Amino acid sequence: MSFLNIDHVSKTYGAGAQATLALDTVSIKADLGEFICLLGLSGCGKSTLLQIISGLEEPSTGQVLVGDEPIHGKTHPSASVVFQDHGLFPWMDVTANVAFNLKARGVGRAERTRKALDYIQMVGLSGFEKKYPHQLSGGMRQRVGIARALSTGPKLLLMDEPFGALDAQTRTTMQNELLRLWERLTATVVFVTHGIDEAVMLADRVVVMSPRPGRVRQIFDINLPRPRDPTSPEFMALVREMLVAIHDDMRLLNMP
Amino acid sequence: MAKSSIIGLVPLVVLVLIWQVAHQSGIYSTALFPSPAEVYAVFVDEFGDLARHAQASIGRVVMGVSVAFVLAVPAGLLIGRFPALDLLFDWSIQIFRSFPVIALIPLAILFFGIGERPAIVLITVAAFWPLLISTIFGVKSVDRTLLKVAKASGASERLVLTDILLPSALPAILTGLRLALGSGWLTVVAAEMMAVKSGLGYLIMYAQVIFRPDLIFSGILIIGGIGLLFDQIVRQARALLCRWQDGLVASS
Ligand SMILES: Nc1ncnc2c1ncn2[C@@H]1O[C@H](COP(=O)(O)OP(=O)(O)O)[C@@H](O)[C@H]1O
Ligand SMILES: [Mg+2]
Repeated sequence: MSFLNIDHVSKTYGAGAQATLALDTVSIKADLGEFICLLGLSGCGKSTLLQIISGLEEPSTGQVLVGDEPIHGKTHPSASVVFQDHGLFPWMDVTANVAFNLKARGVGRAERTRKALDYIQMVGLSGFEKKYPHQLSGGMRQRVGIARALSTGPKLLLMDEPFGALDAQTRTTMQNELLRLWERLTATVVFVTHGIDEAVMLADRVVVMSPRPGRVRQIFDINLPRPRDPTSPEFMALVREMLVAIHDDMRLLNMP
Repeated sequence: MAKSSIIGLVPLVVLVLIWQVAHQSGIYSTALFPSPAEVYAVFVDEFGDLARHAQASIGRVVMGVSVAFVLAVPAGLLIGRFPALDLLFDWSIQIFRSFPVIALIPLAILFFGIGERPAIVLITVAAFWPLLISTIFGVKSVDRTLLKVAKASGASERLVLTDILLPSALPAILTGLRLALGSGWLTVVAAEMMAVKSGLGYLIMYAQVIFRPDLIFSGILIIGGIGLLFDQIVRQARALLCRWQDGLVASS
């Protein structure tokens, strides 16, 4: 039995003439410790799927199981979410932001502060414990978001384009950091991206989705050893294959 | 702050000069229109009396606005958070908030007689609406992503209120407090003219009866000064409590 089981999930937004079929019978399975990327053009339902996995949205039909437990409008206790616009509380310093998920779980003050400081160090933000989000760079903010997500020891880490707002160089750094952290954990990662390079760089498996309605188009296993070299022929070959799959969708959408 | 208050004094100084010139030119009977020096003399000679009346007015405003704060902020947090409550109270709020409180003074006197109580009740009513509406607005404009963060973390409804909605709405609540102190201060003066026998409003009415225009002028000046002081205190509190807003919004 897989750790994460997305079982015939469909999602319709709205009703009647305005109804949008955002996801059409999507089924994906992932083992504990697997790194999955959801890749696709904008509008193919990646965020919708991630929100359903995280319990922030309900599927219209089908279900998501985490460790055999169905998710119903409530986040699984062993899941954590990292948001694209980092979702930090501007009135809390770095320590309080990282400690928030622990506080929400009823962890006492001393314990959660101690843990928060550990994770702040782990993401390389020692010295910034008392800073506020507006005093940090984009990359540092997302490190705080990641530290907060990791602080509860999640077995399922859900990330929606977490590095989408960062410049290319910071993004590469953050990708390497994320892999370094993930290798120390036993956690399944579901990582949404529209960057083919990013998906091939990170994932054990890339789920390519297609839009209107959102469907799983093709699944690629990436068996390249890490760290991966984006200039290697194997890497380039995979990128090309995925590009072809996505290019077909672009024709479908009348994009050049 | 220091620089802006010095610049802010310029028009006031000009006004006093114009006042002096107008007084000397004799366009108006000097018996009715005192000079700046005469009004200054009132401040010196009758300082004790003025202070006593000012203290009575300030006490009422602080009391009334505090009661309004304690009632309006929790109510606003709940109404802003739960759409069902919002729907339930929306019309009522729209109707009652545009009520001029001064129109309620006769009713307050009928219900509570002459004294402390009608004045404080009226101030509470006047301060309640701006606080309530600002709090609701503050809660509704919370960043949606932060609510998702809370939901994904499994935070209780109580933690959402105390750790997310309250701090997020705090700038709006303090704006509401500024407005509340402003309308509370207007109301106390009006209420004291009719419903109480102390305070700056009473002092001004009494000064008219005993034909003391200099006393009326000094009362008006104190009212303006204290209004300014209230406003500055809340602004400073806001700057202090909402430092996290630096870089998010331009400071006002
Ligand atoms: N809350 C919503 N209400 C209505 N339609 C939505 C909502 N969220 C997403 N959609 C629609 O569902 C489809 C998939 O959107 P989304 O999951 O955001 O895609 P992606 O993240 O891949 O860009 C889009 O057509 C989008 O317009
Ligand atoms: Mg998206």
